[in-house]
Amino acid sequence: MFAPKSLTGRLQLTFAHIFSRPLRIGRGISLAMRTPSRTEVVSRREHDKLQNHLANINEQLRQEHEKIRKLSGLRSRLGLKGVYLVIADIITSSTEEFIINRGRNDGLTEGQFVISDNGIIGIISEVSDYRAKVKLITDPTCKIPVKIEKLNIERLMQGTGNNTSRILQVQVKHNVQKNQVIYACKKPGFLDVPMIVGRVAECKRDKENPTLWDITVEPATNLEQLRDVAVIVTNPPAELRK
Amino acid sequence: MRWPRFVVLVLIATILQISLVDIITVTTANIRPDLLLILLVFFAINYDPIEVVIASFSLGFAADLIGPTMGPQTISFGLLGTLLADLHRVMAIRKTSHQVVAIFIIGFLTAILAFILTFLKAEPTAANTYTELFFKPLYSAIVGPFLFLPVAWWMRIKGRKTRRF
Repeated sequence: MFAPKSLTGRLQLTFAHIFSRPLRIGRGISLAMRTPSRTEVVSRREHDKLQNHLANINEQLRQEHEKIRKLSGLRSRLGLKGVYLVIADIITSSTEEFIINRGRNDGLTEGQFVISDNGIIGIISEVSDYRAKVKLITDPTCKIPVKIEKLNIERLMQGTGNNTSRILQVQVKHNVQKNQVIYACKKPGFLDVPMIVGRVAECKRDKENPTLWDITVEPATNLEQLRDVAVIVTNPPAELRK
Repeated sequence: MRWPRFVVLVLIATILQISLVDIITVTTANIRPDLLLILLVFFAINYDPIEVVIASFSLGFAADLIGPTMGPQTISFGLLGTLLADLHRVMAIRKTSHQVVAIFIIGFLTAILAFILTFLKAEPTAANTYTELFFKPLYSAIVGPFLFLPVAWWMRIKGRKTRRF
């Protein structure tokens, strides 16, 4: 209770490290039991994955057009080119966080973005040598700057703890519609291009301030069915570059 | 108390709680039984108070290991497990219906205490408060008595009587 969070976090990660094998087996069984009919799941996930990919490409394309228009002749790099993706298995999961089997030795540090099925699902919150904790975008303590599709405004998106996130402080003069795509904003050193984080699930007037929208966002990726994720490492250690 | 068996049981329960218990979650709020809470009540009504104190804090520590914050569960499980063991000395909790009620009440109280302690620690508390306070203890209370039999077998308990005043 009074121990430093870094110490207690390390204790939790050590537990996950020691019992990673039975935990992974248990999670595998759990996922297998919950998988619905084969055709529906495969097609649905593939569909969502491609939709997310398409959304990312569209946004990147739009940005590239914008750059070309403004800075014609200036070369710039595309998408996640030059960035390392560290693939990690999920050891344990809850509605708010994952523990994955990659850590500091794999180039992971706090604040890095975690993606799956072409969409951002969370941020690395704690790291040990061989394990890391991923704070999901639906966690109430997770706040990331986002941009709403077609609107040129940046706002903070915060998790609700109920498998969704919320965006506040958007004035009702902005036209926000259901299924509009939400992108995580660029963050130097962590994310070089905007990437999809979710879609608008509901948009209603804020109860406390009717001049603002209360936007509910559902993640672009089904967080419950994930088995593995990828961590975006923009400045990998020398060993990883080899 | 057979401590080696206790350690193995707590480890298994902890691993199941975080991985396999998802199979029996209900509703979209992912309500799941709390195996460690069930064990807490089991030990509190089957063992001597001194042993229960150690068992309760150990179970709380295990709950913290797989939870978002370290500390609150250790304290809440420890205190309420001890309290239940003392209560059991003056009021027998033998009937299944009493055990169901005991699991629900202890689950409710541990959740409230953990909630307050987490709040005092200035850590974010669970957003799905109703699930944690009511539905999780309720589900645990329904499932609990069915798990008492295999746990009693594993701990080699045969109609053990606790001394009451």
